[in-house]
This record gives sequence, C-alpha cells and structure tokens, in this order.
Amino acid sequence: MGIAQPLSQTDPTLALIAALPFIGALFPGLMIRAGRTACAASAAAATLAALILLLTRAPAVMGGTMIEARIGWMPQIGLEAALRLDGLGLMFGIMILGVGLLIQLYARWYLSRADQAGQFYTYLMLFQGAMLGIVLSENVLLLLVFWELTSLSSFLLIGYWRHLPEGRQGARMALTVTGLGGLALIGGMLLLAQAAGSTELTEILARGDQVRESPLYVPALLLILVGCFTKSAQFPFHFWLPHAMAAPTPVSAYLHSATMVKAGIFLMARLWPVLAGTEIWFYLVATTGLVTMVIGAAIALFKDDLKALLAFSTVSHLGLITMLLGFGTADAAGVAILHILMHVMFKAALFMTAGIVDHEAHTRDIKRLGGLLSLMPITAAIAIVTALSMAGMIPFNGFISKELMLEETTHFAWAGSDLALPVAATVGALLSFAYSLRFIAHVFLGPVRDDYPHTPHDPPFGMYAAPLLLAVAVIVTGLFSDATLGALQTAAADATTNGAFEYHTLKLWHGVTPALMMSGVAALGGLLVLAFHAPLARGWAARGPFFAKDAFDWGMEKAAAAAAAATDRAHDGAITRYLAIFAIATLAAGAGAFAIGNHGPGSRPPVPVTTVDAVGWALLVAATLSMLVLYRQRLLVLVLLGIVGLIVSLAFVHLSAPDLAMTQVSVEVVSIILLLLALNFLPQTDPEPDPLPRRLRDGAIAAAVGLGVGVLSWMLMTRDFETISGYYLENAKPGGGGTNVVNVILVDFRGFDTFGEIIVLGIAALAIFALVEALLDGRASARLANWRPAAPRAADRHPMMMVVATRLMMPISLTVGGYIFLRGHNEPGGGFIAGLVVAIALLMQYMASGFAWAQERVRIPYHTFIGLGVLIAGLTGIGAWFAGYPFLTSWYDYFHIPPIEEFELASAMAFDLGVFLTVVGAVMLALYSLSRIARRTGEEVNVEAMDYDPSVEAPTGRRT
Amino acid sequence: MSWVLSIPLAIPFLTAVACYLTRDTPRAAWISVAGSALLLAASAVLMAQVLAEGVIAGQMGGWRAPFGITLVADLLSAVMVVITAITALAVAVYALADVSAVQERMGYHALFQVLIAGVTGAFLTGDLFNLYVWFEVMLIASFGLLVLGGTREQLDGGIKYVTLNLVSTILFLSGVGLLYGMTGTLNMADLAVTVPRLENQALVTVVAMMFMIAFGVKAALFPLFFWLPAAYHTPAFSVSAVFAGLLTKVGVYALIRMFTLVFTGDTEFTHTILLWVAGFTMVTGVLGAAAQQDFRKILSFHIVSQIGYMILGLALLTPLAIVGAVFYLVHHIIVKANLFLVSGVANRLTGSTELGRIGGLYASAPLLAVLFLIPAFSLAGFPPLSGFWAKYVVVKASLDAEAWVLAAAALVVGALTIYSMTKIWAEAFWKPHPEGHAPVLSALPARDRLALVTPIAALAVLTCVIGLAPEPFVQFAERSAAQLIDPSDYVATVLGADAAEGAARIAALEARE
Repeated sequence: MGIAQPLSQTDPTLALIAALPFIGALFPGLMIRAGRTACAASAAAATLAALILLLTRAPAVMGGTMIEARIGWMPQIGLEAALRLDGLGLMFGIMILGVGLLIQLYARWYLSRADQAGQFYTYLMLFQGAMLGIVLSENVLLLLVFWELTSLSSFLLIGYWRHLPEGRQGARMALTVTGLGGLALIGGMLLLAQAAGSTELTEILARGDQVRESPLYVPALLLILVGCFTKSAQFPFHFWLPHAMAAPTPVSAYLHSATMVKAGIFLMARLWPVLAGTEIWFYLVATTGLVTMVIGAAIALFKDDLKALLAFSTVSHLGLITMLLGFGTADAAGVAILHILMHVMFKAALFMTAGIVDHEAHTRDIKRLGGLLSLMPITAAIAIVTALSMAGMIPFNGFISKELMLEETTHFAWAGSDLALPVAATVGALLSFAYSLRFIAHVFLGPVRDDYPHTPHDPPFGMYAAPLLLAVAVIVTGLFSDATLGALQTAAADATTNGAFEYHTLKLWHGVTPALMMSGVAALGGLLVLAFHAPLARGWAARGPFFAKDAFDWGMEKAAAAAAAATDRAHDGAITRYLAIFAIATLAAGAGAFAIGNHGPGSRPPVPVTTVDAVGWALLVAATLSMLVLYRQRLLVLVLLGIVGLIVSLAFVHLSAPDLAMTQVSVEVVSIILLLLALNFLPQTDPEPDPLPRRLRDGAIAAAVGLGVGVLSWMLMTRDFETISGYYLENAKPGGGGTNVVNVILVDFRGFDTFGEIIVLGIAALAIFALVEALLDGRASARLANWRPAAPRAADRHPMMMVVATRLMMPISLTVGGYIFLRGHNEPGGGFIAGLVVAIALLMQYMASGFAWAQERVRIPYHTFIGLGVLIAGLTGIGAWFAGYPFLTSWYDYFHIPPIEEFELASAMAFDLGVFLTVVGAVMLALYSLSRIARRTGEEVNVEAMDYDPSVEAPTGRRT
Repeated sequence: MSWVLSIPLAIPFLTAVACYLTRDTPRAAWISVAGSALLLAASAVLMAQVLAEGVIAGQMGGWRAPFGITLVADLLSAVMVVITAITALAVAVYALADVSAVQERMGYHALFQVLIAGVTGAFLTGDLFNLYVWFEVMLIASFGLLVLGGTREQLDGGIKYVTLNLVSTILFLSGVGLLYGMTGTLNMADLAVTVPRLENQALVTVVAMMFMIAFGVKAALFPLFFWLPAAYHTPAFSVSAVFAGLLTKVGVYALIRMFTLVFTGDTEFTHTILLWVAGFTMVTGVLGAAAQQDFRKILSFHIVSQIGYMILGLALLTPLAIVGAVFYLVHHIIVKANLFLVSGVANRLTGSTELGRIGGLYASAPLLAVLFLIPAFSLAGFPPLSGFWAKYVVVKASLDAEAWVLAAAALVVGALTIYSMTKIWAEAFWKPHPEGHAPVLSALPARDRLALVTPIAALAVLTCVIGLAPEPFVQFAERSAAQLIDPSDYVATVLGADAAEGAARIAALEARE
C-alpha cells in the first residue's frame, strides 16, 4: 500500500479542547467550598465539554482528515505548540475524556469527607490535560513536555494519601522510574528529530526510510523504547506499577490502568511507521512484550491483594499490546489498537469494582473475602462480566481481541522457531484465564463468611454507575463489535500505520481456527491451575522473592551507601586532604599542559649574582627550611617568618623598588605584632605531628608545586616581553600629577583596584571583630576564662621606660606618618604606608600602657575610621561624575598661598586619605578584638599609664 | 556611558556604608532592601543600554584601555548583574525576618551588600587583576557572613571555606602574574589580542590550567568542590541562599569569560579536560546528594552537580552549547537561591533541616509546598519549568556534538536529581511530622511571614515565566552566546574607546607578529 497523505485542515478548536482540562483544573479549588459534589461537577463539566467538542470533530477525522492547530513557541530550538488530531489521537482522546468523566463520577462517591477533594480533582484535571496533550501533539518536543507532566501529576496523585508510607514510597519510585524514562525519551526524541530533520510528526512519519537508514536509528530507538517501557511498565521496569496502587482507587483505574500507562504504547503506535519493521524492533519490542505478558500474568495469579492482582494483570495486558506492536505488521498493529480499546473498558470497570469491595468490606485481601455474590449482587454481576472479558471468554469483548492476538502469534517465527510465540502466548492466555477466574471465584463465589472487617452491601447508585456502564459496554462491544468499534479501529489503525491497515470485519465467531484451539487449551489449563491454586501458591512463595522492585531498592540503597562512603572518604573534614587534592589537581593539569610543547631556554641573559644577592638568597632559603623543621614551635616560626619578610623587603630595595620595600616592612611589623598577640592565647606548640610517611608524602607534593611555580617563573624571567609599563612612566606626571609612579598607579591608574582592596581590609577587620564577638559568646569563652599563660608573666607589665619612650615617639611617628602621606604622590610613600606607620605608632602606645588606658583616650571608634575611609575614597571617585568624567578620574592643580611655596593639590590625595583612614581603622580594630580576648582570660586592666608612676606616691590601682 | 557601568557598583558600596553606620538600628535592614531595589533599577538601565547598543565599556579614572581599568558589559555581564540584583533584592527582603539582631549588630547587612558589590564587580570588570580584587572582596565578605553566627559548625565550615578559597585565589594571582609576565597587560580584551600571538603556546596552556583550577575551586568543580558541602549548610538561611545562587556562578562566569575570550588557543586540550570535569562534577555531585539526609546538605551537593551542566555547555564550545550554559546559569541562580530560602522557612516552621526530624509541611503549609515544588521540579528539569529548557538545550548540544557519554550522564543525573528532590518532598512535606506538630505558616508573625514568603513566591513566578515563555530568554542567550563565540565586538569596544589609539595598538601588535 502506498502512503496515503491525509487531508489536513486547520481548526483552532483543537487548541481549546487541549486547554479545557487545564482550565477545568482551576475550578475544583474554587468550588471546594461548595462541597464535593460541586467540585466533582465542575471538573466533569470541563471534561464533558472537551469530550463533546472532540466528538463533533470525530466524523471528519474518521473520514481521513487530519485536524491541526498551532501556536508559535520556541521555533529556534524546534519547538512549536503544534497540535494534531488524527484517528489514533481521536481514539485515545475519547478514552481519556470518556473514562475521565466516569472516574470523576466514581470518585465523588469514593472519596470520604476527610479527603481533600479539591486537590484531588485539580491533580486529576492536570493529569487529564497532560495526557490529552500527549495524544494531540504534532510536535515531538511538545509531546515530551506533556509526557513529563503526566509523570509529575501521577506522582502527586499516588502520594495523595500522604500519611501512608507506601504511598510516599510508591510515588517516589514511580516518578524516579518514569522520570528516568522521560529523560531517556528526551535523548531519543532529539536523535529522532535529528535523523528525520524535523520535530514535526507529520514530517517525521513521512521519512521512515530515511530514519531507519540513519546511524542514529538504533540509539534513538533504544532511548525511545526505554521511555515507552518505563511508562508502560514493561519488564524489567514493571515493578513501579504495583506500588503505584497505593493511590486512591480512582487514580489506579484512571492513570495506572486506562490512560497513563498506555502513553508508552501510544508512543510506540505513534512512531510505528518510522521505527517499526526492522529486526531489532521486532526482537526488542515483541520479546519484551511477550515476557512482560507471561511474567505479569504469573505474578498476578499469586497476588492476594485485589488491586495488586489487577495491577499485574494490567502489566500483562500492556505486554500483550506491546508484543502486537512489536510484530511490525499492519494487521498486528490493528489488533493492538483493538485490544487497547477492549482493555480500557473491562480493566477500568474491574478497578472500580475492586474499589467498591474495598470501600464496603474494608479489605482488599482475597484471603479474607469470598461469598460476596449474595451480599452485593450488582457489584458481583459487574465484576463477573468484566472479569470474564479479561479472561477472554466468549461473548465478551476481550474474547475478540484475544483471539486475534493468538492468531497473529502464529504468523511469526521467533529466532527461527515457529512454535515459540504461539506456545508462550498460550501460556500467557492460560495464566490470564486463571487469575480472572480466581478474581471471580475467590471474591464473589463460595460461602458467605462471618468475619469480614465490615459487612458489605451494594454501594449507592452513583458509585456503581460508572462500572455498570462499562460492563454494559463490554457486552455490547462484544456482541456488536463491527458496528460499535469497527470504524474507530479502522481510523486509529490507519493513522498508526500510515494507511497500511486493512480492515477485517470484527466478529465473535471465526469457526474452528488454530486460535480457538489455543484458547481452548488456555481455558482448560486455566481451570486446572485454579484448581491447584493453593499448592501452587505455596510453591510460588517458597521460590523466594525475586522482584525487580527489590532489585531497584537494593540498587538504590547500595548506590546511596556507596555514594555516602565515597563522599565521606573524600570529605573527611581534614583540610590537609582537601589541600592535597587541590595541589595534585593543579600539578597534574599544569604538567599535562607543559608536556605538550617544546620549551627552549630563554633569550634574556641572567643578571650577575653578587655576594649580597647570594647571602640574601641563602638566608631566605635557610629561614624557609628551618620553618619546615621547627614548625611545631610557633613562636620560633613567627621569628623566621619575620626574617623571610625582611629579606623580601631588602630584595625590593635591592631591585630599586623603595615603595614596595616600605610597604613590605610596615606590613611585616604590623602583622608580626598582631600574630604575636594572638599567639599569646594559643598553645605554644603544635599538636602531635602526622606519621612520617604522610609528612613525606605531603612534603613531596608541596615541593613539586613549589618547583612547578619556580620553573614557570624562570621561564618567564629569562624571556623579554612587551609591557604597558612604559605608558605609566610617561604619563604619571603629566596625567596623574605625581612623579612617584607606584603611588600614581595605586591611587590613579589603578585606583579602582585600591578601592576594592581597602574594602577587603575593612571587611577583614569587621570579620575578625565578629569572630571574636561570637567566640566570647560561645563555648570558647569558658575555656578562655580558665586560661593560664604558658610562661610566667612579667611583673612589670607596663614599664615606665617604655611608656615614656613611646610617648616621646608618638608625635614623631605621627609626623613621619604625615610626611610620608603628603609626599607620597611624588616620592616613595603614600596613604597605605602612612596608615601602617601611624598604626604602628598607636600599637606601641597600646603595648606600653595597656589597651584599656589607651582606649579611653580614643575619641572616634575604629569602626567609624573604616567607614569614613571607604566613604571618602568612594566619594572622591563619585565626585568625578559631577565633573562629567568616569568614576575615579583624578584632578590636580598648583596653588600658591604666601608664605608657603607653591604646592599641588590632587583629588588623588583625598582618595589616599580614605586609604589611610581605612588602614588605621582596620589595624586598630584587629588589636581591639585581640584585647577583648585578653580581657576574657582575666587579664587585669590598668587605669593608669604605667604600673609604677614615680610622680605618684602609692602604686596605682588596678581593676579587672 | 561609564556611569551606567559604575553605578551598579557604587550602589551596593554606598548601601553597605549606610548599613554599616546604622547597624545598631532596624533601619539597616530596610536600607539594604532599598539599596538592592536601586541596584535592580540600575542593572535594568544597564541591560537596556546593552540591548540597545551592544557591548559598552567605560574606563575607570579616565585612563584609556589597556592602561586604566576597564568596566565592560556585554549581554552575559549585563544579565548576570540583573540576576544578581534580583537575588540581592529577594534575599534582602527575606533577611528582614531571617537575620537575628545580634548578627545585624555585627554588620550583617553591610557584609551582604559588600558581597553583592563584589559579585557585581566581578561580572563587570574587564581587567584580570581587578577581577582578582573582586574575588577578594567576595571572599572576605562571604567569610564574614559565614562565621557571623559563631557556632562551632559555622567556624569549622568557615575555616575550610576561607582556607581553600584563599589558596585558589593565590593560584589565580600567580596566574595573573605569569600572564602579565608573558603579555605585559592585564586588560582582558587586550589579552584576547595578545595571547594568541605569543610564541610559546604550551606555556599559555599551563597558565590557562592555573586559571581553570583557580576558578574551578570557586565554581566547585570536581575534584575541587569539597569546601562547598562543608560550609553551605551552616550559616543563616539568607546567607546560604545568596551563596548558593551567586558565589559559585562567579567562578562559572569567570571560566566562561576566560575560556571563550582569552584561552581559546588549545581548546583541544583545555576544553576536553573541561568536558570530563563537567561529567564528573555532575555525577559526583548528584551521588553525594543521594547520600544526604539534610535539607540544606542535599541542596548543597546539587549545586555541584548543576554546575557540571553549565561547564558541559562551555566545554562543548558550540553556539548551542554556550546558549545552554548561559541559560542554565540564569535559571539556576533563581532556582537554587529559592530552594535555600524555602529550606529556611521549613526550618523555621518545623525546627530542623534534618529530614528525619521534620514533616507535615504539605498538610499544614500548602502554599510553601507549592512554592517548593516549583523550584524543585525546575531543578530536576521538569517541563514546563525553566530547568527543562536549560537541560534540554545542554543535552541537545551534547548530542549534536556526539558527546554520547556526557549526554547520557546529563540525563541520568537528571533522574537522580528527581530522586533527591522527591526525597525532600516525601520527607519534609508529605510525611506527617514525627512529633505530631502541624507547622503552619500563620504561626509566624504577619511581618515575618510576608518577608519570608514574598521573595520565594516572586522567584517561583520568575521560574514559571521562564518556563512558560522561554522564547525571549533563549533568544537572549543566543545573542549572548554569539558575542562570546565571536568576541570581536567586545575587544573593539574596549580597546577602541579611543578609536585611533585602539587601532594603533592593534596595528602595533600586528606589526610585532
């Protein structure tokens, strides 16, 4: 048969149909105050409206027209909100909306007052919309969106009774499995779209050959099948479905039997013209379906929970449909379509009857039931009719599709064997027959018992109306299959197979055919199995559990445990390990990159080494090495650190960088003083060292990193390079108004960096302050209070000589600081160095006379220093805006005020003032924080400048 | 035009000073909110400007590039600044109810604003050393915020955080030094011109690796991410929200910037490493999360895993992949910050973040449940939320590039993300509270309730908007990716601020060749 191009017709009503359930999802939440009935009615109204609209389009669609509607969404990545309605979509649409309507009716009676019906109906409508979206999508990406939405709404519905642990667990399992499938499907669809060159179904379906020849066909097929198999609960992904039965029964009936689990099957049918017909398709799909059908039926036979029995029966029937699609012929696909229709009718009704039994008898355990026929005759009648249909008994509708299925299996050879398929299918049918009869016999037949948890009666009409309607449909479509279902099957199968389907009149009686004989065998065998059910069940139980669910749980548990172990091992909290990983990663990456190229020696001649250089170098190396050896004695290490800093400063002097040298020296002094003070409150020695091998290992890593940096520096320093620094030398005076290029760079060329750095400094001081504050409020406080100094204290803590000397030095130091500050723009100096010098002068004062005494003489809090400093620097920069220049643009001019010499004023000085204030404030705040710790340790606080003041007779008082 | 660029920086600094001076009064919190709102306005102006005129650059101090410090905004920078402002505003409002009086007195709001300033600076600067300065600003401000509460756990996390980040910052600084030693310039646009002309490209690659590691620590890439899970679950919730949203993204941004602008010489080597790092980051992060039982710890590990997706986009270096990286970056900041904010409310209502000890939020706080569900499922990549598109584009780019293994990893990691998110959902929301509490939102004072829920709701709405109308966002990401892949506009705008001078410099460089 040629591929018939269907007529297409644009109709925006389609968008409305797709949107109606979502609109309807808004109602229940609003209507819930009006009661459960209003709530259900509002949802049902939207469903009914959509169904009616859909049915008005049915004649055209059955006539072979495809209806389209599209709204642009994200065309760049191939996504358009394009909808299509063809025969397949129509059939599924009717199922979704029709069963949806019945379920909404049923749920009205099923849910109790305690249940939040508003939420329930909202989720249900969301699901309905998503499911309808899947079957109406023209764009495969849009289909994906709806696909994921069904997983999500199913998750919310399974966990609807959130107080049940099995509900929560089942919901998570379902979402994880179907979510994984959904993600695989994203990959598969992307590959498919790439192979077909389009994301539109119409285009893709027309390019089957192109896709099947593409190298992307196999990966796309595998990924898409993972998506379909997880969604439709095919082996080995079937295990989530029974656990989803923790959901309220209407949900089980609707999502996990009638619609959502058929989404995978729908997709296989939808893509059938593109994907089917290859060997790999046949073996993957047909085999999976067959295995699922047999295993599902076998498990169902031995389940005592009514819903579990029905769940595994659903798995089995889904397997049957999958197998038929897998055969790859148009006839088989047509049978698959037919069975989808039949299954919806009897299985939805069966779930609803199971729900009624549970609702009335307060149990769904088959072992506790039996003899319900006389207690609830209407329910029993519905159950018997639909269960017989499930068993494939003549004259019910299940018989027709089962016969056709059995017949199809005889047309195919599996791995060269003609018998494999028919035999396996017969076994499946046999088991199916057995569990269906068991459902009838063990629940409704037999003697009436006196130990039901609750004596059952037929429920109110509203509750059995929906299953009753379905049971009638089961009979009618069985008896008059051609008249009722023929046209729909043809339309749907035509759409599925791209017009390759040929309709064979549906009828109950085909004469004595091989299929009928297989059915007979199945029925007899089924009866036999049922007769020996009890011993078989014991054997089944003794066989030990093997369920994919256990495998899933086991896998998840092991994976989580392994992850936890790995995480714990890598994250044991030891900072040395983190640093080692960091260092090794850096080394490996650097060495890998280094190995790529050829590195010749540099062209620049080395500077000759003088004696001074050599001595300095030797001192530096010796100090550093000693530090490694003596690292446990902290005080000594601090001294060595001082040496290193000093030599670096000297190196700066030697290399003609007086500014850097001054900065380095003053930074060294300040930081060593602060470190000394802090060390006062720490143990004098390091805790026990690590074992030697570990130290050697760490040492090797550290040495390698050091060498690496050394090599890189060497390579750079032996080469000439062009730099922008010439520009700075040329422009410092004419552009920045200063001859000290370093200072002009700091406050002008790159003043923006300096601005950032003073903020860092200020915040660091604040962080120290906050840290100490927290420390003193916390547990460490008590430890500090009991702290005893390691060494004896000096008796004369504030010696007179020192007090006098520092007082004398104070004005001198301040003057020096001022001088350094002022000359900074032209000579070595500047705000940063000046700030440090002044800070040192103040530090000395504090050390000489004690913090409290000095503290009382400070008028401005240190916090304000920092704040003001940042503010002044920032405002200087902002000032430039008002002159119409960029942030931090500097300005300078020369002034002459007699009798002073002509002098220069530059905005950069104001900026430098900000730097100065921040530095002073930050250092002093750090000192203040340390002194607070000292106070907590019980250190006495002096109120006088010195311990012994010769101008006063008596020794000065102290307070603590 | 330079004021458009410097105002977004000046606002948080001035706000910080104002907050600092008023830190003993309740005004500070409101000043922080007002400052963040102003920042949002300023960033919107910046964005409008960039959209209208393309790349814009400004020279701080009026010194022309490459001698002065350049601020420059292309679309990526502009969108990062906007998203920073959005996060800042949301967190500032949230902080009204989340931060204790003690922390406020210690200068919480000032530290927060300085952090925002640092982040903004990092996004706007066009100078490598200046970027280092902003990294320091961020580091020290974030350290301050981390230890503000002063509990043992916070100090422990804070020390690890600051040590590892300091070491990485030193590596960054060494890299800057070496690069300057080779090229004699620090301006990033200038580097883009100079670096490809260097003779010894292998040495350039070595330096590139130093930057990759240094930024990799910031971005929490495998195997350098350990500081993140050690620290992020400890501080105040508003702090962890802003950390989760913004800090690692600065590292990602820096990687994107440097590895599309400067280090594109040996992509065979650098980007292949990035590719595998991305894969391992995704997988280890999500496995780490699977093992956790604490609301915030789970979220912390997921930051790591999601960073992998962005780096995957960068590593593939195709136009579509960069679109994915940019889209992911923006989406993730909103979603992740929001999840941490939700965890704060959950903690407030139930008294803990340990999943075993809490529950019942779905029944008693359904609004919060919905507000959790949106970012959680967006993170897991469910349509029609923003994360779906982000993941979709990255996966499509990987498939287009035939990086099958990584595409598969991206998909499996997505499934495991679902596993983790549903764990939180089932435990904290569905499960009844183990002690029978019914944690209701209305138990909170009205002011707190408003301050806590409004930002969460606003961010959730944003997630939905991106999800439902992704087209303008994808278009934007496309334009942005085009700028990143062909940075000639960027370079010309920066160096050509003084057109003749820029041309002369480029000519000089060409002559040197």
